[in-house]
Amino acid sequence: MSRPIVLLRGVYGVWLREIMRATRDRGQMIGGVSRPLIWLLILGVGLNPYFRGEVFGEVRYVIPYTYLQFLFPAVIVLNIMYTSIQFAVSVIWDREFGFLREVLVSPMPRSLILLGKVLGGSTVAMLHGALVLILARFADVTLSIEQMAMALGLMFVLAFGLTSFGVILAGRVRSFEGFGVFSNTIILPLYFTSSSVFPLDPALTRTQTATAYPEWLVFMVQVNPITYAVDALRGILIGFNQFPPIYGPAVIFGMAIIFFALALVDFSRS
Amino acid sequence: MTAAISVEDVSASYGAKMALEHVSLDVPRGTSIALLGPNGAGKTTLINILCTLRRPDGGRASVAGVDVVSQPTRARQSIGVVFQDSSLDDRLSAWENLDFHGLVYGMAPKERRARSAAVLELVELQDWRDEIVRSFSGGMRRRLEIARALLHEPEILFLDEPTVGLDAQTRQRIWQYLDQLRRERELTVLTTTHYIEEVEGADMVCVIDHGKIIVQGSPDELKARYGMRWLHVVPKDPVAGKAILARYPEAKPLGTHALALPANDDAVADAFLTEFRDSLAEIRFQPPTLESVFLSLTGRQLRDQADGQRDAERAAGKRGGRR
Repeated sequence: MSRPIVLLRGVYGVWLREIMRATRDRGQMIGGVSRPLIWLLILGVGLNPYFRGEVFGEVRYVIPYTYLQFLFPAVIVLNIMYTSIQFAVSVIWDREFGFLREVLVSPMPRSLILLGKVLGGSTVAMLHGALVLILARFADVTLSIEQMAMALGLMFVLAFGLTSFGVILAGRVRSFEGFGVFSNTIILPLYFTSSSVFPLDPALTRTQTATAYPEWLVFMVQVNPITYAVDALRGILIGFNQFPPIYGPAVIFGMAIIFFALALVDFSRS
Repeated sequence: MTAAISVEDVSASYGAKMALEHVSLDVPRGTSIALLGPNGAGKTTLINILCTLRRPDGGRASVAGVDVVSQPTRARQSIGVVFQDSSLDDRLSAWENLDFHGLVYGMAPKERRARSAAVLELVELQDWRDEIVRSFSGGMRRRLEIARALLHEPEILFLDEPTVGLDAQTRQRIWQYLDQLRRERELTVLTTTHYIEEVEGADMVCVIDHGKIIVQGSPDELKARYGMRWLHVVPKDPVAGKAILARYPEAKPLGTHALALPANDDAVADAFLTEFRDSLAEIRFQPPTLESVFLSLTGRQLRDQADGQRDAERAAGKRGGRR
């Protein structure tokens, strides 16, 4: 038996286990379905009429999209973020309940164990992101096959990076209880400062932006990598970019590489 | 032929506490060896080193002729491990747990199916193959873990306290499987335990305490060398008891009436009986046991309260800290 096949089997095994566990975890599934519904149905529908600047008379900012369309890509990212970072729970679980040792005494190299795990977690996260795509018609977003394929591709890479980030977190968190609070304090601020629920006006100059929004907020939006992930998906799904289009994919791929490398260092050491 | 397990001058420590001090051990192929010692003696540390989960601070260890430090991946191929705490995924079914194991060990689909069915049958869990492990009892989990450890046909099987927390019947059943396996294939089995009665069936016993191997040999050898045979007697009345004590000052009182007399020699027993035959209510020979061997070697009982306490604390610390 050639070695690559043997190793691939191992990666597949670890991946498959993550998928099977996810499909049996009702709570996670319910979260994955209810989250986009809440965000789009309540927040999206509720704010939809107030979105366009001209509604207020003084036309400060007009983008040719409804709020639902604007929010739609961000909700995909939100769903991916939740699932990816919650993936840390699976890692903590393995460690605390001893399952980790079962793989550690197997002949699989540690790097491939981690790869399988992260691939599994990212697949689940990407699928949770894809659940939002089902609501595309409701949000008035029409998609071609190519758009879908590109979006799914980027979503997977984003999920891969965030899942690796989850693994890094897991190495630093001891308890399940702590993790719930912890993950919310990370996910929601990142989400809100990613220009997900409000746009930064690309038509305004720097000073003008600063008068519309406090400078610290603009700064936070600009340094938040999730901003660029949301922007990349907006570019693909509704053709709207607030930043140069190359930024998004660059940040997404960069995160995937850096976080996975860091996770690998962590995991090989433990 | 190389030894199945070879440990040479291995030391390991957790911070300032030495878990193993210059331990050496050779186990020939096909042998069953029991590491006997109280909790915290270093048994689990030794197993962790042998299954490549922990590096020794010094010394060398190899399994199936493969060094565990320099070639951990190759060493892992030839070992099966059953850990002290369950390492099954309790959200998967028995079959899925086995299939996962097969995949991770790189087994082909056909081989996986055949072996999984075979090991499930061995531990009599074939009727439970599609049940989720969460619904399994402790004994069933343990059996499934043993089955899983055997799936990839390892040469050496490590069992860390395989029968802790199980009822007597299940314990016996598990030992039956292991004996059967050893007879059928040339499997080397290393077990740690602090149930003395389980050690009797092993080919080799290795008594370990405070990180050191105190003695090793077959159970009979150890008993012959270190064990004491005792004569337990209950005198008819206190006067007779006093008389016996006066005559045999080395006798130890057991409870309120009974006395224990060291009687390794038949002549001693005969002499005693001739003298006190008529003043005894009860008399019984207590043959040497490994328990008494352990007692005379370490000066303490295997299962004492303090150890249990320490163990509980350590387990709590392990959950809190990273290991």
